[in-house]
Amino acid sequence: MKRLRLISQGLFLLLFLFLFFQTESKGVDELGYPVRLFLDFDPLILITTLLSAHAVAVAFYLSLIMIAVTIIFGRVFCGWACPFGTLNNLIGALKKMRSQPALGGWYRFKYCLLISLMLSALFTLQLVGIFDPLSLLIRSLSLSVNPLFNSGTRAVFDSIYDLNIKSIADVSESIYAVFKKGVLSFDQPLYRQNILIGVIFFCILGLNLYEKRFWCKYLCPLGAFLGILSRYALLKRSVSEGCTSCGLCTRECQGNAIADDMPGTNDLWRQTECIGCRNCDDVCPQNAISFGFRKQVRSAPIDLGRRRIMTSVASGLLTVPLLRSTPFSKRGFSDSSLIRPPGSLEEAEFLKRCVKCGECMKVCITNGLQPTLLEAGLEGIWSPVLVPRLGYCEYRCTLCGQVCPTGAIKQLRLEEKMRVKIGIAMIDKGRCLPYAHATPCIVCEEVCPTPKKAIWFEQATVLDRQGKKIEVKQPRVDLDLCIGCGICETKCPVRGRPAIYVMSVGESRSRENQLLL
Amino acid sequence: MNRREFLKTAAIAGIGFSIPSPLDFLNNPCEAYAKSDLVVATGPNPTKITRAAIEAFGGMKKFISKGDIVVVKPNIGWDRLPEQAANTNPEVVAALVQMCLDAGAKKVKVFDRPVNDPRRCYIQSGIHQAATAAGAEVNYIDERRFRETAINGLVLKTWPLYEEVLNADKVINVPIAKHHGLSKLTMSMKNWMGVMGGSRSHIHQRIDESLVDLSLAIKPTLTILDAVRILVRNGPQGGNLADVKKLDTVVVGTDQVAIDSFGATLFGLKGADLGYVRIGEQRGVGIMDLSKVRIRKITA
Repeated sequence: MKRLRLISQGLFLLLFLFLFFQTESKGVDELGYPVRLFLDFDPLILITTLLSAHAVAVAFYLSLIMIAVTIIFGRVFCGWACPFGTLNNLIGALKKMRSQPALGGWYRFKYCLLISLMLSALFTLQLVGIFDPLSLLIRSLSLSVNPLFNSGTRAVFDSIYDLNIKSIADVSESIYAVFKKGVLSFDQPLYRQNILIGVIFFCILGLNLYEKRFWCKYLCPLGAFLGILSRYALLKRSVSEGCTSCGLCTRECQGNAIADDMPGTNDLWRQTECIGCRNCDDVCPQNAISFGFRKQVRSAPIDLGRRRIMTSVASGLLTVPLLRSTPFSKRGFSDSSLIRPPGSLEEAEFLKRCVKCGECMKVCITNGLQPTLLEAGLEGIWSPVLVPRLGYCEYRCTLCGQVCPTGAIKQLRLEEKMRVKIGIAMIDKGRCLPYAHATPCIVCEEVCPTPKKAIWFEQATVLDRQGKKIEVKQPRVDLDLCIGCGICETKCPVRGRPAIYVMSVGESRSRENQLLL
Repeated sequence: MNRREFLKTAAIAGIGFSIPSPLDFLNNPCEAYAKSDLVVATGPNPTKITRAAIEAFGGMKKFISKGDIVVVKPNIGWDRLPEQAANTNPEVVAALVQMCLDAGAKKVKVFDRPVNDPRRCYIQSGIHQAATAAGAEVNYIDERRFRETAINGLVLKTWPLYEEVLNADKVINVPIAKHHGLSKLTMSMKNWMGVMGGSRSHIHQRIDESLVDLSLAIKPTLTILDAVRILVRNGPQGGNLADVKKLDTVVVGTDQVAIDSFGATLFGLKGADLGYVRIGEQRGVGIMDLSKVRIRKITA
């Protein structure tokens, strides 16, 4: 059984990684693969989005399949399919001996977290993305691990290339070409907060060295959700009379499901913690353990206790006003640096749906979409913001809307997308070359992508220091035509603070955040 | 080129013309000397007119030798479709690639350093597909391969230029004729911005001088100006089909100044209206005055 499980885990992990690497433009506007498939199957996101936004993306009904599977077979997703679970498994394999579970009762913590998240969601605060394992995994891989992997690989091949020895370089470059084609990103991806997100991710993986599958046992809210669903799952474990209480199964259990002192007692088996790995069945020297569809077997309840439930409910409730009472809410519209991707819903609605999975940032063709820290409040941490100095919104690209799992970024048709304003550009006359320095420059106008350019010129005659007349074209922004894509800011040759920059003001999605009548 | 030189050239060219056709082989060296020679081909099929123009210009074999590594440098600057006339016509590029290979070229490389995302530019322009199908090696720019190159121009002293262009046996420039906000038009001389590394947008501060400096540093074997569709407004990127004019024309030559000077007439301008053409002539890159240039017009 173990081999079968490992094959299944491996295949799911490979599928996951394949889809992850496919989350990148190939020059056409379609990706060709359902890259967000794993998120579509995530019932925790389905339920919390239903609670917070009273709506849900169509593809999420796929997660009903996962609900059904769990009700029948228990948490097999955790044991057999979850790519994050598999990674935890892998790291856990580095730890040889299993110590007695030091945190035995703490498995309840994940249920408390789940209750808090649900309560917050019920009162419109969607925080599930921070803890949801699939969201967390895709975000961490996209924003931290993949950039690290790219940077490291490129550094190795670049240094070989720089040695400038032809025979060696020929070999290394052909290997490099294979890497580039298969797994490396087109350009080196770079994200703000890659360190913070990476440290969190590696710490979670590192906890496996303290106890195997630490995350799955104690923290994972999706695991908790599936645990509740599997409370009365049809597939049950039963132990026959032959059990000698040797404790081997307890030691091998991946989910903390078997009672320490009395492994043979069916009533004490925590079905909600069993992830279906079947290690117990495999190791039992008496062959006393069997799994099957039986009715009569009873198993242990989750047993949170009234106090824990009350605390979880209260903390979930209090989080809402705690995170919402910020100065942002006074203005009624978001910060002018908070440029959301095209197709984003109005900010409040956006935050109710965004699960911070990082898919949009991974797929963003210019690397301009970056995770927020506090620009959108703590509530919006790691949600996407366009940072035009780093990368602009490609005029004829609609990828971010295609990969968003929750519809926080609507999927737009190209014609719609090209009309959506995500902000407007402003010129800093104190820095702009034709204004401030009597020097010709037209870069912002040249790169402006709207068919009738949103940047136009006012022909002006200016004097240089010697009093010589110089003809320059001074750029002006047509506020009606400007869509705020930010390419002018990206390409502005004025280094440091650009001479033309984009603000979210004027964005189509907001009624309040406007400049003109 | 001063008057004496011109008369000399004209005289030699005249001798060339006077040679009867059975002695045509004598023509070739003379023709090569009379370098300001343009062929303008017009017709509905871009592939055909490209082929006809090159044939009329002496055939590709005259320029490409067996075993040559050839760079064909189109404009692939923008994430635009062929009909929007922001990038070189893919059929023209493919025809050139094919002709180079037929002439015995060992390898034909096609690339550009785009302004928009390279993947989108290569694919949406249709050039990646067309050139690959024709047998070219189409690669994205590798940032490690820009080499600081001495230019010793008026404005540009040194600049990182793309190694593949510097190392190639033959370079063929195949720009598209378009409107441009600063230089008025962008054609063959401005197309070399696509092999510049570094912060090339800075050259807009002295665009005309910089373009001439570049044209002195990079000497193409052949230049084909794509005027199948030209962009008359909102260049160099366009996007509105109303700004595109279909001329069904390509211009072939070896003198970039003459080609750009001729290109200007397609937009109702004169070569002298373009700063880089004027300065180009002054600095000996080529001939601006079209009355001194033999222009052969053909239809195909």
